Amino acid sequence: MEQEVARLIVDSLNLEEVSPEQIEPEAPLFREGLGLDSIDALELALAISRAYGVQIRSDDENNRQIFASLRALTAHIEAHRATS
Amino acid sequence: MRHSNTLPLIADHSTPLAWVAGRRISRAAFLADVRALARRLPAGGAHFNLCEDRYRFAVAFAAILLRGGASILPPNRARTTLSEIAERHPGAHALVDERDLSITIPVVPVTADGTEHAPNPGATPEIPTDQMAVHAYTSGSTGQPTAHSRRWSSLHAVTTQALRRFGLGTDGGTLVGTVPAQHMYGLESTVLYALLGPCTLLAERPFFPDDIRQALADHAPASLVTTPFHLDACLRAGLTWPDTARVISATAPLERDRAQAAETLLGTTVCEIYGCTEAGAVASRETARESLWRLYDGISLTTLNRERITVQGPQHPEPVALPDRIEREDAQRFRMHGRPADQLNIAGKRASLAELNRRLNAIPGVLDGVFIPPDPKQDGGNRRLAAIVAAPERSEAEILAALAETTDPLFLPRPLIRVDALPRSATGKVPRQLLLDLLDQHSQCA
Repeated sequence: MEQEVARLIVDSLNLEEVSPEQIEPEAPLFREGLGLDSIDALELALAISRAYGVQIRSDDENNRQIFASLRALTAHIEAHRATS
Repeated sequence: MRHSNTLPLIADHSTPLAWVAGRRISRAAFLADVRALARRLPAGGAHFNLCEDRYRFAVAFAAILLRGGASILPPNRARTTLSEIAERHPGAHALVDERDLSITIPVVPVTADGTEHAPNPGATPEIPTDQMAVHAYTSGSTGQPTAHSRRWSSLHAVTTQALRRFGLGTDGGTLVGTVPAQHMYGLESTVLYALLGPCTLLAERPFFPDDIRQALADHAPASLVTTPFHLDACLRAGLTWPDTARVISATAPLERDRAQAAETLLGTTVCEIYGCTEAGAVASRETARESLWRLYDGISLTTLNRERITVQGPQHPEPVALPDRIEREDAQRFRMHGRPADQLNIAGKRASLAELNRRLNAIPGVLDGVFIPPDPKQDGGNRRLAAIVAAPERSEAEILAALAETTDPLFLPRPLIRVDALPRSATGKVPRQLLLDLLDQHSQCA
């Protein structure tokens, strides 16, 4: 599942320099890590809703946590896919 | 007492001024917050208004005005940008509501949330009409940020025109804004419509489509104040949308088919605002049905020659030359044929290509470099700048970090391609096709 989400990140954001295997599961996705920004966050949220039916919300207290790393994002998707 | 050379700080309406965390904030409670903050500010001068929360931005904006000063709105929060602007405003403080903002300017924290005790709201404060109210900075094409300043009378005039044009002067309702208040369009359409009209601003800035849907549902029927970038994300999100009063869009041209799709999805009218940093908002159109822009009441165009058209209304002390290619249809309507090629627009933010190239080549160790604008025909949100750089001694990360000191993150290049030398022609230019070929080769290798 983690690799599947990594593939979704690379494909939806056209990260030509990065392969899914290269994304470190615990590394930050934004700023210092992959250097993603707000355009990417929006694009990624759309891709996640299409692929998994999970809507990302920024008023969610855990928002920073959700995008903190590939592992955190995967966990969020799995949790919300299970309950919805 | 009301003097003819003053205008009120806020309009007298019974509608709430803001929603803060689901709470209704009255105009009296807002004034109490404004007065409490004003007591902590130095008199006069100009101060950075960096508040993220729209309510706190409005409180800071009004408190600065009340102390006789103007809000400084920077084009981005890059450290060098802020220090360059601060040099022009000695004594400037930064009004902030974020704890983790690291800046070297003296900070005044803003914590207002509408709960300040207001035993006696008192008379509505009056502000001198000629008082400078805002210095809106753009990144400029000359190497230094450029200030566009507006007096209080000018903000009053444009707000009155817009409220009338969009029927907001009578309807009011909640403004759900996805644009930051620091942007001139955001200031006018999400803060001033509430201060000087019967509208109610929403403190939060919804970002993801589901946030926007929720905010519109909580305050239905609300007006959505947004950009083509966010509107496009909403159209692609596959959600069911609540009853919406109207959609207002600006910062980049909205395609007619997108406007039509948004009208169908949200069941309302989509109005697009035409404006520029130099003149502010001056016209609007209903993009789904109209291609011609209609000037706000009281504004007129003057043709000086084929290349130069000026605009003037009560908000402009002098005629302002429009930066765009404009074709007049009649006294009140015109066509817009595009912006000068140097102007880039990424997700509603503007920058000058010449200025970005100058910044890139100013980085120590960069021998030569050039930004490549995104293909305007490419769909979706991933319209990115690329850059080709000859800098044998510097790593990609070093170049990006140096650029981030002066440049909004949205304009950082991706990919950043390293070459030994740029394919410059005899005249020193880099043919666009050669750059695109380089980009192409690069993506095939990756």
